Amino acid sequence: MTTTPHYVIIGSGSAGFGAAKTLRTGDADCRITMVTMDSLPFYNRYNLPQVFHGRHDWRDLMDVPPAQYAELGIELRRRSRVVDVDGAQRFVSLAHQEHVAYDRLLVCAGGRGYLPENLTEYFGLMHGFGSFEAAMRLHKDLPKGGTAIMIGGDMTGIDLAMTLLETGYNVTLITTSQTFWPHRVTTQERDRLLAALEAAGMKVLKDTRAVGVSRENSGKPAACVTLEDGTEVRGDVVMPFCGLASSVEFMLRADVDIERGLLVTPELHTSNETIWAAGDVCQIWHDQEKAYKFFHGWKNVRVMGELAARNMLGANEIFDVNIEDRIDVDADGKISSTFWIH
Amino acid sequence: MIKSNDTDIQIAICGSAGDGTIASGDIMKRAAAAMGFNVIAFDVYPPEIRGFGKCISRIRISSKQTYSLKQESDVLVSLNDSHAIPHAAEVRDFGVVIYDDNLVARVAEGGHISAHIDAAQIPYGFSIRQISEQATNSSRSRNVVILGCLAGLFDLSAENFHDIIAKKFATKAQSVIDDNTKAFDAGLKAGRTVFRLDDIKVRAGKIKSNGAEAVMMTGNGAVVRGFLESEIESYFGYPITPATSIMERLAVEMPPRGGKFLQTEDEISAIAATIGAAYTGSRAATATSGPGLALMAEMIGLGVMAEVPSVVVVSQRGGPSTGLPTKTEQSDLNLAVFGGSGDAQRIVLAPTNVEGCYRCAGMAFDIAEIYQTPVILLIDLYLSNRYETVVPADAGTYTPKPRPQINLEGGENYKRFEMTKNHISPRALPGQPGLMYTATGLEHNEQGRPNDDAHMDMSIKRHEKLKGAVHYPGLNVSKRFGDKGKVDVGILGWGSTFGEILETMYQAQAEGISCSAMKVVMLSPLPLQSIEDFFDDCREVLIPELNYEGQFAGLVCGALGRPVTRLSRATGSPMVVREILDEVRRLSGREPAPVQAVGAMGARS
Repeated sequence: MTTTPHYVIIGSGSAGFGAAKTLRTGDADCRITMVTMDSLPFYNRYNLPQVFHGRHDWRDLMDVPPAQYAELGIELRRRSRVVDVDGAQRFVSLAHQEHVAYDRLLVCAGGRGYLPENLTEYFGLMHGFGSFEAAMRLHKDLPKGGTAIMIGGDMTGIDLAMTLLETGYNVTLITTSQTFWPHRVTTQERDRLLAALEAAGMKVLKDTRAVGVSRENSGKPAACVTLEDGTEVRGDVVMPFCGLASSVEFMLRADVDIERGLLVTPELHTSNETIWAAGDVCQIWHDQEKAYKFFHGWKNVRVMGELAARNMLGANEIFDVNIEDRIDVDADGKISSTFWIH
Repeated sequence: MIKSNDTDIQIAICGSAGDGTIASGDIMKRAAAAMGFNVIAFDVYPPEIRGFGKCISRIRISSKQTYSLKQESDVLVSLNDSHAIPHAAEVRDFGVVIYDDNLVARVAEGGHISAHIDAAQIPYGFSIRQISEQATNSSRSRNVVILGCLAGLFDLSAENFHDIIAKKFATKAQSVIDDNTKAFDAGLKAGRTVFRLDDIKVRAGKIKSNGAEAVMMTGNGAVVRGFLESEIESYFGYPITPATSIMERLAVEMPPRGGKFLQTEDEISAIAATIGAAYTGSRAATATSGPGLALMAEMIGLGVMAEVPSVVVVSQRGGPSTGLPTKTEQSDLNLAVFGGSGDAQRIVLAPTNVEGCYRCAGMAFDIAEIYQTPVILLIDLYLSNRYETVVPADAGTYTPKPRPQINLEGGENYKRFEMTKNHISPRALPGQPGLMYTATGLEHNEQGRPNDDAHMDMSIKRHEKLKGAVHYPGLNVSKRFGDKGKVDVGILGWGSTFGEILETMYQAQAEGISCSAMKVVMLSPLPLQSIEDFFDDCREVLIPELNYEGQFAGLVCGALGRPVTRLSRATGSPMVVREILDEVRRLSGREPAPVQAVGAMGARS
């Protein structure tokens, strides 16, 4: 019988990888398994717009060499979809019919692109940007000098849009309430930010709503968005950037409290004794606001992963919810955001 | 040398017996050959006829000439994870592992191959079983689905696969061809939808531009072709792995050509019948493996003593005894060269590749008849079962020679074993008027009559007559490759291992090591002068071979008394290029190889 604990981490992003490294630092002998849907080892998704600057080899986006997984003794399970977590029996069920038992589980599954209810049926027609593959598909489908239509315009989308403008593409933005997500901006700030985007060359469509997405030929990407007044906006690709929805479906049987995300204490502990959560998948209790809140952004997510790992090892640290959340435009019209710090 | 813009990928397909693994590999290699690539392929399968043993088909596809399989595969396809998991580590960094990600039955933790894919390798999961079922209402076509996945991923021509599938199943119902084609197309569609993350490059195939159509051939197949083109007339055999396919093919090919074919009750009968038929002037052969050769030793001695030309193919496998029936080894060299009673020198030829099998088999009857002695064609499982693309025009350097005319004047003075200048005597066939003689295993005089006093003279005759064989035209009994003149390291090799030796030599040269390689095709008699010249040019000589004792090294050392470094391996698997290269580096002083536990066999002697 072994006493070496087995830590399973669901998710391989900055929270997951940071947690794995922290676990190894704190326990040289423990077993660490990282399960992810992704095809690639850990890379910096915030650098994905770089594919439009010619970085087409995924290895160029990696922050750590693949060999580091072996060096750290991390068992990496890629292209592995978690379909269920049994919080009582303590095992994770994978779609390919394998159960992975754990002693302690960290959920860092992040989120998937949120889509307004009226557009969900068009999901398959639109381009995503959540992975290297998606970024490369966009690069392939968007002709040089072509136009990307963005619905929403969260901060991931704005970052990409700025890169597209810099590299000779056109961007049409159809605003929604998720524009500039996850920042909460006043009407005045929003107008100022949108003006900055227009000044940068972006076409901004305000005070309207996308109600349909279509393509002209089967096999080609969607290239047209219908607005609520019947107007058609044409481009080469259509992309939703409406924030994230936490990936929690597989946690329904895990005996944890769930709202929009997994509800965790400031120690990032779920209501299940052996399960922690970190990153975009969790809502952390904010004692001052008496509510569970998301804390998005690379820096926050990484900090959460490392903190959760330390707590899994026995510490009792609290996530500092008083974090800086700022978006601004400088004198040159350049937008800066704490979301982009990485 | 393989350049960066060449195609050079190795695909390993791993499954369980009954999964269609070998059939899948067969279609893959034939399709690749049809696309114009050079192909080397080798299948590993279990000794059990049926059951759940592991099967692996490895196929190296290249736009350039290659000489062996690569140590690391670029692609591993798993049709059975429990078998494929140990081979995941064989895939190179940024290579690909393809597997079924939609299993029906639960697997134990760690039982899925995705748990064993290194972070630097690229996983591609497909619903292989489901795709097969949707396409054909059966999961039995998983082995063809994965070919479609490969074709889709690497943009290989579907047309070539369709064509090979149609040919492979031509003797079966049309529905079999249709289902396999559907399965392939469904896999193709799935493969094409996957975003590629690997760095594998497959460019258009372009085989040697002599206009000839390349054909896929195994070593055993090449032996058969050589036999048929040199007009074999009689074959007697008893089945034994890995030589059986020679017999099976000749059983089909010989009768329509007027040849005599007989499966005998055992190996002793097979060699006895072969010697008997050869005595009558028929071009006769048999094929066996090490255990069979052990049984044949006495009758081969009769062939030596009675100076009867015949051909014995020996495809080696792991031994002794039943040993490793489906694994390769080069451990029957001593038996082939020395086996039997008395001073029974015979000719032993050891081709190094498939084309060499064709060439040696084609020449073996001529050589046997000229030198009036048994010729052993010594190959091994790795060569017997290895597929290579061969361009017939290249292989056709052998042209069957006119049969030696047996047109002798009869009479009282006819001496079947006459002492001649070249020690080769006039050979008559039974029934020729006035040319009657006694063929016997007893020592005899020139007339063939039993006579003990002639033993010394006849021993000299039987040995001396073979010396000319090392100069036999067109055979290349030895050949040097690589750097000319003085070199730091020379690699001396024989048989199937020479492919790995050549690959090693080219890699060593690319590293700046002064290096040559020499193959020795005639093991008995040894071409001593050329081997000695090679030793003179090499500061160090390395002999890698697939046996524990270093039998070839022992043979060479015994003949020349020169020191060599042995690299002897008895693993049942082909020699590993990296191991040879490490040794070459060490010998050249470039980089010390790590000390390995090879005992005395790894030592210089």
